[in-house]
Amino acid sequence: MQIKAGDRFGVAGVTQRAERCANGEAMLRFGPAQGPTVLAAAALFEEGNRTRALLVEVLRRLAARGIGAALPDLPGQNDSLVPTADARLAEWRAAFAAVAAELPGPVHVVALRGGALLDAEARVASRWYLSPVSGAAQVREWRRVRALGGAADYAGNAIDEAMVAALAAAEPWVAGPLRVVRLDGDPRAADRHVPGAPLWRASEPRGDAALARVLADDIAAWIERCAT
Amino acid sequence: MDQVEDTVRAVLRDVLSLDAGRVAGFDADTELFGALPELDSMAVAGVLTELEDRLGIVIDDDEVDGEMLETFGALTRFAAGKALV
Repeated sequence: MQIKAGDRFGVAGVTQRAERCANGEAMLRFGPAQGPTVLAAAALFEEGNRTRALLVEVLRRLAARGIGAALPDLPGQNDSLVPTADARLAEWRAAFAAVAAELPGPVHVVALRGGALLDAEARVASRWYLSPVSGAAQVREWRRVRALGGAADYAGNAIDEAMVAALAAAEPWVAGPLRVVRLDGDPRAADRHVPGAPLWRASEPRGDAALARVLADDIAAWIERCAT
Repeated sequence: MDQVEDTVRAVLRDVLSLDAGRVAGFDADTELFGALPELDSMAVAGVLTELEDRLGIVIDDDEVDGEMLETFGALTRFAAGKALV
């Protein structure tokens, strides 16, 4: 289905609409048009496909609580018309920062996995990360997938080596108000561990409504705390 | 060892999207690679990386072969050998 700018469609009482970023990329908007606004950074490439349903479900739940949310496509990602091979980290960071500057504030970043590598230039009130991953670890995993599959690309994504190299050197941005949530079973440090399976590694991820609810509740409480 | 086995079980369940009851029935002789259609090369990468994350181990890709992935017992022994050193 081609979603055009201005299309409006309601989901269980939640206002959801398709908008355009200044660079022409599509952006899903949820809930109220006034701040605070959650600006979402999806996980990268295949992981982003596997977790998109979860992320959208979380944003819908936030919208139902009266918190607006935005999920922009970045050039070369998701439904972007820019080829995947032309995706570059510097452009993604600039595009993400530009969206952050245009949304009704205060803007709070919600990033999944490698999405935490994209907000370095965004001026935002806080950051909330689910299972953030270093660029080096992400790239190591991609190389493993490529080696085991004997493929020329990365799980079907033709990611340019310049993008791979830039990501390999990238770390999640951790300055300013930050909350990190990880899943039970992940021994790394976090502000909270929640029950759930790593959908980004699942071959055929099922939805996880319980996880979406827990995450949305956690984000809403975090944003409220940031405001006081 | 039991803890490693539980972790291997949970990783297979989560990465291969297998039914929890089915995975609970896995024993040392349960065949994996070649027997589970869910376990393709991409899923193998996911299983290995998830095992690394949860057990705090590092698996060199040179160590990955059909033998360690042949059965649940073989994969558990491999993981335990890494985790318990």
